[in-house]
Amino acid sequence: MKPLALLTPAIALEVCLFLIPLVMLAVVSLTSGDSFFFTPEWTTSNYFKVFTTYSFDFQITFTLIISAAFLDLILGFPFAYIMTRKIRRFTDVFRAIMLVPLFGELYIAYGFYYLFLPGGPLSFIFSALGIPVFKALYSIQTAMIALAIYTFPFAVYNIGISLQGIDRSIEESARCLGAGSLETFFRVTLPMSLPGILGAWLVSIGWGLGAFAIPVLMGGAMVAQRMLSVEMYSIALLQLDLGMASAIGVILALVAVIIFYFSLRASRGALI
Amino acid sequence: MKAARAETAKQFAFYGYVMVISGLLLLPFIVTLLRSLTVTLPDGRTTLGFRPYLDIIGAFWPKVYLSLSISITTILIDTAIGIPAAYALVRYNFRGKKTLYTLLNGVWYVPGICYALSLILAYYFLYKWFLGYWGFIAAYTAGFLLLMIMTCIVAFRYLDPCYEESASCLGAGRLTTFFKVTLPLIGPGVSAGILLIFVLAFNEFITALLLNPPTRLMTAPVRVYADIRNYGVREFIAAEAVILQLISLAVVIVYLKLVGTKYLRGVILV
Repeated sequence: MKPLALLTPAIALEVCLFLIPLVMLAVVSLTSGDSFFFTPEWTTSNYFKVFTTYSFDFQITFTLIISAAFLDLILGFPFAYIMTRKIRRFTDVFRAIMLVPLFGELYIAYGFYYLFLPGGPLSFIFSALGIPVFKALYSIQTAMIALAIYTFPFAVYNIGISLQGIDRSIEESARCLGAGSLETFFRVTLPMSLPGILGAWLVSIGWGLGAFAIPVLMGGAMVAQRMLSVEMYSIALLQLDLGMASAIGVILALVAVIIFYFSLRASRGALI
Repeated sequence: MKAARAETAKQFAFYGYVMVISGLLLLPFIVTLLRSLTVTLPDGRTTLGFRPYLDIIGAFWPKVYLSLSISITTILIDTAIGIPAAYALVRYNFRGKKTLYTLLNGVWYVPGICYALSLILAYYFLYKWFLGYWGFIAAYTAGFLLLMIMTCIVAFRYLDPCYEESASCLGAGRLTTFFKVTLPLIGPGVSAGILLIFVLAFNEFITALLLNPPTRLMTAPVRVYADIRNYGVREFIAAEAVILQLISLAVVIVYLKLVGTKYLRGVILV
């Protein structure tokens, strides 16, 4: 009885402002257009449309966020390894820097947008390489780098937690039994941190799904603005087709929840 | 001698790599900062100056004030709700605890745009009175509650229950123990939650963007976004973005100076 009393406000808050709205989203996704607010016309065609009309959006979204997640792993694993194993001094400074991308993707998007814009700081490099600047700005690669920076702290967190969870005596016994440091790394440390790496990969994908400012600002109309989150926004607020937007939202939320579920299973990451 | 030199070289490489990555993380901020200090003179030359900051003071400050007020109210409500919830989750065992924990965490795992759209629908259809200032508070409170619960759970785990036990042995009641012993001891952990909620709520963008048309309230990040859409990358927009990031950065630095990273580890930092 006692714990329930302490938990009641939190439960009430989440039920009223998270569960009920989510159920509403699912209900609205079964109506056509904005008819839910007048006389609901029930239909399931929205879900068919998600997989037909918007299948290209799925492709773009997942290409972008999966490649960003791989970039996170490539850059993040050495980072987490060095941070947890190899260096002692100034680690708190680097930890503090890891908080900066949490300020939001809007600022990352603005920084990169300016960096790649014609007349911006990087434009001379592109002109030297002979790449049209707008092509560089509105390419999937730049959006990918920006996304990778946004999701980087979450990936590093997951990898780092799993690296810290490895019992050091196992590595030491490998060394005692004659394995070199490289062999120990590839045959003990890396395999043992694989769950964390998988978790980090999934987490980056899960966070990438919700990215909005980066694709809006950095992506051209053909590339990243076809990302599902952006498409959802424009369908809901510009075309006022709430049913369609809700259907995309339901699918996006389901995908994200499944991804986060498996990432929590894979790594021991408690929160993200 | 040779081994020592190899070790130094290795350390050098390690620090070099970490610094390059940190630089990459800071790159957007540095670029924005440089942009915000660039002034274009009438004859087309550019110099450094604070002119962009002076230009925006009048129009931008109310938005910053609104953002600050929303995030501080959110922090107050979340602290009041989150600490008891975390306490119950750590100190009691009951059936359905895992399910409950999932419910409380769920909002974190749903993409921001889905959460925002579902909230807008609920506001229009069920909670019409929320279409205003309190709509922001409600959305942010529910959205960031788990950060408070999470950091408090970590703090309660650091806390040895023997302090509370001895307090109650010495005759203190449950409430007295909680306010005089538990709360002061988990203070730093609670402050980690406050920090995270502040940083995320102050810069929250997507929910605020969707709430902007019906409520006619524009928070500072939405203003930055709208300005980018309308004017491109002009200096004054960079100045707005820099002001918001500097406020967040100042809060983070003050927090790290006072408390350190201990209570953020295991929540969001390695």
